[in-house]
Amino acid sequence: MAEIRVENLIKTYGEARALDNVTLAFADGGFFGLLGPSGSGKTTLLRAIAGFVIPDSGRVFIGDSSVENTPVEKREIGMVFQNYALFPNMTVAENVGFGLAVRKISGQERTQRVRDALELVQLGPYSDRKPHQLSGGQRQRVAMARAIVTKPRVLLLDEPLSALDKALRIDMQIELKRIQREIGITTIFVTHDQEEALTLSDQIGILKDGRLIRHGAPRDVYSDPRDEFTARFLGEANILSGTPEEKGLRLRDGALISKVKTGSIAVRPENMRITPAKPKSPNCLRAEMRQRIFAGALGTCVLDWQGDVIKVVARDSDFYGVPDTGPVWLSWSDDSTIEIADG
Amino acid sequence: MSDLIARSDRLRAAALLSPAYIWLTVAVFLPLSAMIFFSLLSDVPFGDRTWHFTLENYGAFFESTTYARLLWKSLMLGVTVTVVSVIVGFPCAYVLAKVVRGRARGALFLLVILPFWSNSLVRIFSWAIVLRGNGVLSTAIDAVLPWDVRINLMFSPTAIVIGLVHSYLPYVILTSYLALQAIDDSLIEAARSLGAKRRTILLRIILPLSTPGIIAGAVLIFVPVVGSFMEPRLLGGRLGTYYGTVIEDQFVAVFNWPLGAALSFILLAVVLTILAIASPILRRAQV
Amino acid sequence: MSNRFLSRIGLLYLGMILFFLYAPILVMAVMSFNASEFYQLPFSYSTEWYERLQRNDEILTAAWRSVWIAIITTIIATTLGTSAAIALFRYEFTGKRVLQVLLFPPIAIPWLITGTAMLIFFFGVGIGRGTPAVIIGHVALALPYVIVVVTARLSTFDRSLEEAARSLGASAWQVTRGVTLPWILPGVIAGGLFAFAVSFDQFVVSYFLAEPGDSTLPVLIYTAIRKGFTPEINAVSTIIIAISMGIMLLAARFSNFGGER
Repeated sequence: MAEIRVENLIKTYGEARALDNVTLAFADGGFFGLLGPSGSGKTTLLRAIAGFVIPDSGRVFIGDSSVENTPVEKREIGMVFQNYALFPNMTVAENVGFGLAVRKISGQERTQRVRDALELVQLGPYSDRKPHQLSGGQRQRVAMARAIVTKPRVLLLDEPLSALDKALRIDMQIELKRIQREIGITTIFVTHDQEEALTLSDQIGILKDGRLIRHGAPRDVYSDPRDEFTARFLGEANILSGTPEEKGLRLRDGALISKVKTGSIAVRPENMRITPAKPKSPNCLRAEMRQRIFAGALGTCVLDWQGDVIKVVARDSDFYGVPDTGPVWLSWSDDSTIEIADG
Repeated sequence: MSDLIARSDRLRAAALLSPAYIWLTVAVFLPLSAMIFFSLLSDVPFGDRTWHFTLENYGAFFESTTYARLLWKSLMLGVTVTVVSVIVGFPCAYVLAKVVRGRARGALFLLVILPFWSNSLVRIFSWAIVLRGNGVLSTAIDAVLPWDVRINLMFSPTAIVIGLVHSYLPYVILTSYLALQAIDDSLIEAARSLGAKRRTILLRIILPLSTPGIIAGAVLIFVPVVGSFMEPRLLGGRLGTYYGTVIEDQFVAVFNWPLGAALSFILLAVVLTILAIASPILRRAQV
Repeated sequence: MSNRFLSRIGLLYLGMILFFLYAPILVMAVMSFNASEFYQLPFSYSTEWYERLQRNDEILTAAWRSVWIAIITTIIATTLGTSAAIALFRYEFTGKRVLQVLLFPPIAIPWLITGTAMLIFFFGVGIGRGTPAVIIGHVALALPYVIVVVTARLSTFDRSLEEAARSLGASAWQVTRGVTLPWILPGVIAGGLFAFAVSFDQFVVSYFLAEPGDSTLPVLIYTAIRKGFTPEINAVSTIIIAISMGIMLLAARFSNFGGER
């Protein structure tokens, strides 16, 4: 187990900067999620920590030692690949035992450790199967077992769940969290699925165009995104813009949101209320109902405000009394106002 | 309703398939059967020659050790050429599949495969020019080394092996290349992430996964070489008597076709046996 | 040993192999321009052998015959092979596996055996030797290659296109002509070029099936080499190799053989 640190990492491919001066620390024993759209550099960062990508400049620390000049084989990492990369010519047990065989651990100790690892991922009876005989979820767990059996200093997961279907993915998320807590290894994973990032991470890092835009605990980043991209990328957000005045933000339809210093604000869809008549709340807007969507546990209302799309999410019963079309009032409380930096 | 559709489809399939397969039957399968029939005759059944059924052609194979020795010589030639080709060719395929990147790969691959499609006779002939005494190789070595070394590799088993390896090397490079290309890079990365060094990766992952390709190439080389006669004659001179040349003689010089047929059939049986042994390995790796 | 060093060695090795593969051919080509009749060095440039070649009726007739046979072989083998490949792709039926396996004998059996067996059989049924026999043999050898190449191209074909055409009312032939063939055309052309190369370069089967006086070019070269030869052989060989390689380059362009795409 070790703390992982990267400092000022820069990596350029031709014209594009895949990593643009990224500095980040990953706490020992923590579960860190790297989130971002494709091309954001999150996979490059993961591979730089692994050693498959050699940065143009900057440093990578695993524990106390800097490892930029250490080859992959010697970095003591465990990695799970997007396509699992199980060796097709070996059984499950041989796959999991491969890292131990490389370290010249054999015989009783190896058999025992392989068995323990397979028990941990609940695949004990499958040790003699070959990868092509396993389902996607089972292959994923073999890949996990193989990565952790060598007791690496850090566990790196490259979009580990993206190949699984939705129900299985949710189950595997719970599994992953359980396994990580049980062995307490520093884990860094990459995903483009923000829900997954929120579920699994102790700490989250958002990358865009090679830069680290925001990092922190999921709850903090969610309630305080600080910029429009993060607000939209992590969760949904309704962005309202206008001109800053002395007393607050003057929105385009004339409404004044007091105490706001920036040119835009964001309000999460679950924090807005719809009422047919004007409410007493200080923050309210007049909008047009466009669509009402029923999706089981929650429902979404889609509205139009000054040409922009506004979404409101709530339990379906909370929308009682709201018409399907026509003008309505939107409102929210002061602490639901999120100030968004300009530019 | 569905039965009718299936039947008209079947008719159409038959219509599309029959020309090709009838052709193959007439040109390959029937002749092979005819060959078996012929091998049991005492003389060619044409003109006004008398003939009867006999096993003496097969008997001739077992009577003296000559034929058996020559068959063994041809089999050994096959093994030698195959082994040399695999040892020389696999690293070449590896470099092509894993070291060369991008557009260069396709172009270099093509360059390696191209000679394969030129006339084998002409290529053997070119080796004759290079290897003979006072030939190009001899002159080149004389030019480089200070002392008088007269190299005459012509008309020797070495020349035959060189010529055959040259002709068939691209087969094993091709099949190995295809197998190596199919090995996903992420497998190698996974092995590295687990701490494996180059040698381990080669022995435990790359070689096992490319074995089917190597075996396929080996079969494509072994089979023709065992039956070869043109290369031994041109490059081996008096030493170039092999099982294949003996069979050739029966048809072209001696006109003892039944004996030739019998010897051919024995060769066919041996080759098919070897293929039968190799095919489970090929099929098992079809994973 | 660093990775870069090993990569360099690897590329050097590749270069050596390429040298090994092409050196004799280049030597032969160069010698065709050498004035000496007995391949004596030093080298002095001369096109005499090419000129003599033009006047050598025997070689020219054989060359022409080889080309003709190859063209006919190509037409027949491509038509038969493409039809068979389409049928194997489109339809499922019992015995399909057997049929696919049956394509291997021409390749898996030494040509010596196939050639001599053909000789015996053709004599037995009255076809005897000669150009028709040679063509029958060449087509049989070329068929598996055509089928393999076209099948490879077919594997990239979207079956639902055929189904869409049929749902619009097209007959099987209309589907083939309008939908399937246009897509697989590069594969068919590549297969045809393979067939041409197989026929044009074929030695063993031609050797046994050709009439002694009317042989194909490779057979003629063989007998000439055994009897003693002049660099005219080099000249015609160089031309043959140039043509075969040219054809293969074309075939590769059409079938994306081994490329990244």
